[in-house]
Amino acid sequence: MSLLLDKAKEVTKTLVPVVVLVLIICFTIVDVSADVLVRFLVGSVLLLIGLTIFLWGVDLAMNPIGEYMSREVATSKSPVKIALLSFLLGFLITVAEPDLLILGNQVEEASGGTLNSFLIVYMVSIGVGVMISLGIFRLLRDRPLNRFMAVTYGLILIMGCFISQEFLAIAFDSSGATTGALTTPFVLALSLGLSTVKGGRYEEENSFGLVGIMSAGPILSVMALSIISGQNNIRGEAGEYIFKKGVIGPIMEAIPNIFIESLIALLPITVLFFIYNFTKFKIKKGEMVNIIKGITFSLLGLVIFLTAVNSGFMDMGRIIGMELAKMSHGLLIAIGFVLGLIVVLVEPAVHVLGSQIEEVTGGYIPINLIRMTLSLGVGTAIALSMVRIVVPQVKLWYFILPAFAVAVLLSFKSNPIFVGIAYDAGGVASGPMTATFVLALAQGAASSIETADVLVDGFGVIAMVATAPVLSLMVLGTIFQRKKVVELGHVGEVAESADAFPVALSDFNHDCLFVVVNRGYAEYVVELARKAGATGATIFHGRGTGDHQTVLLPLVNIELQPEKEIICLITDIDISANVANTILNDAQLVEKTEVAVYVSPTVALIKDVSLSECSSAV
Amino acid sequence: MGVIKIDTIFFTIVDRGKANAVLRKAKECGASGGTILLGEGTVQSKLLDFLGVTETRKEIVLIPASDELDGNLHEQISEALKLSRRNKGIAFSVPFKRWTLNESVQEHNISLDDERFTHCCIFTIVEKGRGMDCIKAARAAGARGGTIIHGHGAGVPADYYFHLAIEPQKETILIVARKEKTASIKKKIYTDLELDKPGNGIIFTLPVSRTSGLYEDRD
Repeated sequence: MSLLLDKAKEVTKTLVPVVVLVLIICFTIVDVSADVLVRFLVGSVLLLIGLTIFLWGVDLAMNPIGEYMSREVATSKSPVKIALLSFLLGFLITVAEPDLLILGNQVEEASGGTLNSFLIVYMVSIGVGVMISLGIFRLLRDRPLNRFMAVTYGLILIMGCFISQEFLAIAFDSSGATTGALTTPFVLALSLGLSTVKGGRYEEENSFGLVGIMSAGPILSVMALSIISGQNNIRGEAGEYIFKKGVIGPIMEAIPNIFIESLIALLPITVLFFIYNFTKFKIKKGEMVNIIKGITFSLLGLVIFLTAVNSGFMDMGRIIGMELAKMSHGLLIAIGFVLGLIVVLVEPAVHVLGSQIEEVTGGYIPINLIRMTLSLGVGTAIALSMVRIVVPQVKLWYFILPAFAVAVLLSFKSNPIFVGIAYDAGGVASGPMTATFVLALAQGAASSIETADVLVDGFGVIAMVATAPVLSLMVLGTIFQRKKVVELGHVGEVAESADAFPVALSDFNHDCLFVVVNRGYAEYVVELARKAGATGATIFHGRGTGDHQTVLLPLVNIELQPEKEIICLITDIDISANVANTILNDAQLVEKTEVAVYVSPTVALIKDVSLSECSSAV
Repeated sequence: MGVIKIDTIFFTIVDRGKANAVLRKAKECGASGGTILLGEGTVQSKLLDFLGVTETRKEIVLIPASDELDGNLHEQISEALKLSRRNKGIAFSVPFKRWTLNESVQEHNISLDDERFTHCCIFTIVEKGRGMDCIKAARAAGARGGTIIHGHGAGVPADYYFHLAIEPQKETILIVARKEKTASIKKKIYTDLELDKPGNGIIFTLPVSRTSGLYEDRD
């Protein structure tokens, strides 16, 4: 099974529910014109193709680029250089984000021109640069993420008291706008790369969290902007929305614009990478070709994806929103919830985050569980947004500020790796699907309800979508922590019968030892082994089960398997017994974790064995 | 002395997502547990290669088993996952002895000449990024393909930058081949990847006592 087919399958699985639900709505409740319906269907097919190509381009290009850049950041020895380079990275990817410019223009209009759109774009980009810089320092110095974020959100909370609630919405929205389809995978890759380069005890925890930190940047800068400029209210009306006619026309029309936007968004990362490649990395040709292919695929996929979403999904969302709001408010809230549940899974970054979680934890955290939690969070967020549109007394901060306060509190009780994933999820969930389809739904609804303001209510939706998953995943992390497999296990040694042990034959010159321990003990085992005479070792991450350890998560019936580390040691045949005994004799180790040592004789060729021996060895 | 019983670790390499099914089946057969690693397999297709798809995502399941259980596992899991069909996955057993403290002398009870060992499993550990080179070399010498597992080196002093140790990233390549081919594959990898130079990597072989689903056995 090839990777490409896998990706297509994965995307189809998430897309089909959305299409089915929308079709059901179209044929039962809402009367939709044939043009819009056909365009939606064409859009769905394009979306499938585009997203598949895009995800695969990200795999090919963004991940290696992130890896190389992060190595460059981590190995530049002076803190000043690290700060500068990471600031530059954050600044460049944000400044080029097309969504941000759109937001800037909206705010400029809404504020009657007092806030210049360029001022907003640059302020936000500086905010992101500074936060990425701080985030990278946090990662390199192993400062706990929960405290870092507690301070950051504490600051946001305090500043939030001084600004108007329209600006609160804009501030949170701008954070959603910066975490676009390209930025998020890149920052995810960057953070993964940094933590693998760095390694150490907190490698897994450190792989996540940078997106979360990054998305706090814009919130802080827009809030600061509002306080400094004294600009407090936004007014104005959203322009009259015109539904496009025809099927192919609107799709073709959208392409050139989207192409240019995507190109601009992709450019800074690519250019920076090429500059570094020519001066520093000097990557091999084959690898370079793959990266170039990947960049091309990313661009192509992104263009197709965005075209599909903009021309196929936006009108559909708007019509459904408008019609439902006219019919029944309860229905609007209910359908908002269901749409939220399934739409978020089509977000590109959700797929990227999913595969990254799988990679980093060796499959320990079930991806489906993460997706479910994410869905539930976003579904609730959209339902609540609809409530807010329907009932004008309900304000945005009723939800957002308490949600973040609870999330920050839970982050101290949650499983550490979930803290990073949860904060990242906020940025991940608020991608292009939310920004078009869901936003259109909300604006459609708002335009049919008299008490609602299209502009103000529209602004809050992305903020809600960015907040809810943080809370829902943090709750999941807390549950995980409580259900965590008890690490103290008995060593299930089976007494071996000692009768059949003839003398070893001399064709084996080394022993291969596999030591299986619970996560976190590998370094300790290697230390022990070295004391006993072994040299180096290789460590793998995995997950595993024994008889007594399986924990079933209630309701969803998902099995949790504890994380394991396998240490592979090649030792001389004479010292392998000593090494194995030392490991099993270590009281501290055996008490705390489950240890199993497996030994097999092997024919090894290590540096000092000459080639002639090699050919005669087997 | 009769036929010696061999304890093994039962390796299964399947597509990503199927490892849990393997483990469940193994438990039904009486295995006490297992460990799952993530890895990457290789594909042989010119078109896919051109498009940049060079790997497929795999899961590797390691299950410790006694001799009887091992045979049983081969039967049951091959059937459950249809390993006999192409590209469904492979399974093989490597003799491993679980080390216990209560025995003073523990010797290996196996020999490479044992006629049960028809295959060998070649492990190569190299720097990250060279895994594909290794598989290319192995293919040139007649191997069918391989599986790459990511890991990191430990124990050897790492480089220090800015208060932090940079852990060397490693790739481990698993190749299962017939015993006759092993020597030439090993030699090819050894020369092509210049493993004779210190720090370039190590290579070792483990005997394989049983296999299921290997492509070359189906010819």
